[in-house]
Amino acid sequence: MALRSVSRRLGSRILNQRSFVASLHSHATSFGFQEVKEEEKSKLVGNVFTNVASSYDIMNDVMSGGLHRLWKERLVGKLSPFAGMKHLDVAGGTGDVAFRIYDAVYSVKRRALQKVDEASLEETQIYVCDINPNMLNVGKQRAAERGLRDNKSLVWVEGDAEALSFDDNSMDGYTIAFGIRNVTHIEKALAEAYRVLKRGGRFLCLELSHVEIPVFKNLYDLYSFQVIPNLGELIAGDRESYQYLVESVRRFPPQERFASMIADAGFEKVEYENLVGGVVAIHSAIKL
Amino acid sequence: MYRTAAKRLLAGGGITTTRLLRLPKLRSTIIPSSYTSGLCTSSIGGNTESPMGNQSVNPNQSGPTASSSTGTGEGQRRHESRKPRAEFQEEQARVLSASLRHVPRLGWTEEAMMAGSRDVGVSPSIVGSFSRKEAALVEFFMDECLQLLMDRIDSGLDLQNLIPSERIFKLIRIRLEMQVPYMSKWPQALSIQAHPLNVPTSFKQRAMLVDEIWHAVGDGASDLDWYVKRTILGGVYSTTEIYMLTDDSLEHRDTWAFLDDRVKDAFDLKKSIQEAKYFAEDIGAGVGKSVQGLMNGVMQTMSRRSGGSAF
Repeated sequence: MALRSVSRRLGSRILNQRSFVASLHSHATSFGFQEVKEEEKSKLVGNVFTNVASSYDIMNDVMSGGLHRLWKERLVGKLSPFAGMKHLDVAGGTGDVAFRIYDAVYSVKRRALQKVDEASLEETQIYVCDINPNMLNVGKQRAAERGLRDNKSLVWVEGDAEALSFDDNSMDGYTIAFGIRNVTHIEKALAEAYRVLKRGGRFLCLELSHVEIPVFKNLYDLYSFQVIPNLGELIAGDRESYQYLVESVRRFPPQERFASMIADAGFEKVEYENLVGGVVAIHSAIKL
Repeated sequence: MYRTAAKRLLAGGGITTTRLLRLPKLRSTIIPSSYTSGLCTSSIGGNTESPMGNQSVNPNQSGPTASSSTGTGEGQRRHESRKPRAEFQEEQARVLSASLRHVPRLGWTEEAMMAGSRDVGVSPSIVGSFSRKEAALVEFFMDECLQLLMDRIDSGLDLQNLIPSERIFKLIRIRLEMQVPYMSKWPQALSIQAHPLNVPTSFKQRAMLVDEIWHAVGDGASDLDWYVKRTILGGVYSTTEIYMLTDDSLEHRDTWAFLDDRVKDAFDLKKSIQEAKYFAEDIGAGVGKSVQGLMNGVMQTMSRRSGGSAF
């Protein structure tokens, strides 16, 4: 009798683990709505971004009607950057978020209002990490256009979100904007984020997410599947990449599930905020 | 009050689910707030709900102790040597407490909180996650002072031998003396508390303070209404607090004299209101025993008068 109850408990635990692992692996083997081998996924994603790199920013503007700028502003606002912080922006290839953080820290108005120590200003380091060198090149180009080419605060690093080359407990902030969807193993990326953050460091993730509001959901689906791939064809000349994009959004875990994954990685105070009814969600957490 | 009680219930109920053990904390803090595109017309109701969940230090404490023990159980399943998890509320309290030391120099600002976080050994990023940042520091201080006051009262303050007005004087004086080290930056704290976003919490804290003082004074032989009592005491407290801002006298002697006068005024006011009440009751006794009788009497008198002038 004891044996039966033990085996039932073990069985249910194994079942839980297997279903848990299965649901994670479904993300690892999904390339949009296609099923692919795990090893191939990162290569396929790599191809997507190599193809779209040059028109990435324009397509963002067109697809979101310019809203992506507001979303990124909100993300950086939530982060509250400060002078002297060490920040890591992962999958931030073209530098949108990094430039905003830079501006927030170095803005003259802010410096006048708060007594900012010039020395600590110098210590500010914003690392932009991306797995795709093409995206990084676009970012470096944009930096040069802003006159920040040789600025020591912005550091462009090529790297994999699942295996970061940074030290443990070295970052005050970690952001990933529209990038975690493309990672093969989400939980590895989250574990790496946990590893590199200092105690008290914040994790912020801006990502396309799930809409639940009834009528709006249908409109959104219509827009995603009918309009966006056509826009991709028209403007970037690449229908498949944008088809992958909208499909990958559907395969990504919904807000609550993702929040629990973040909590499982060890983070505290996991919260999320829906923007535009759930089209985009900002998940935030703290490492303690 | 009902909200915090409900959250406590939710936190307690959530512990029993085995799969997502850390969700009890999530349930009290995940408030998905919807924003309309671009306009950012954030619902203030949605905003004030999460600060209430984070700011009030007491209600969530039933959750953490249970979840941390179940958390270690789950931790053993996967990873043996994970250090005990610090609860966010405790960490926030530690940072805010350490920040208070920097307030006289840096003011009630993010810089003070970042300096405090460095003292505790936590990245200053954590300050970015406090809701309504500077207000968090001020509210923490107000809560601490209230707690200190309650401790002083419980540890045997000699109130029995004093008449009510003297008791009130003593309690308000004790409470205001706690603010003396921060007096140079107190105007900033007051302006932070007056900010529309922060008014609900600061009002609630002041109401609790006034309530506590009356409770310690004991109701005494007063016939005044509950609300009127607290309003008057709130008025006395606030005016003295503001007077104290510009008081340069030695050991704030002038402030205490001011306070004494105000407390006496309040009690005189009470007496004169009481006299007015007796007078009104006497009139009421003439036309009937109840206040309703008085009203009717007044109405009758008025209608009689107007009827008379028509002629």
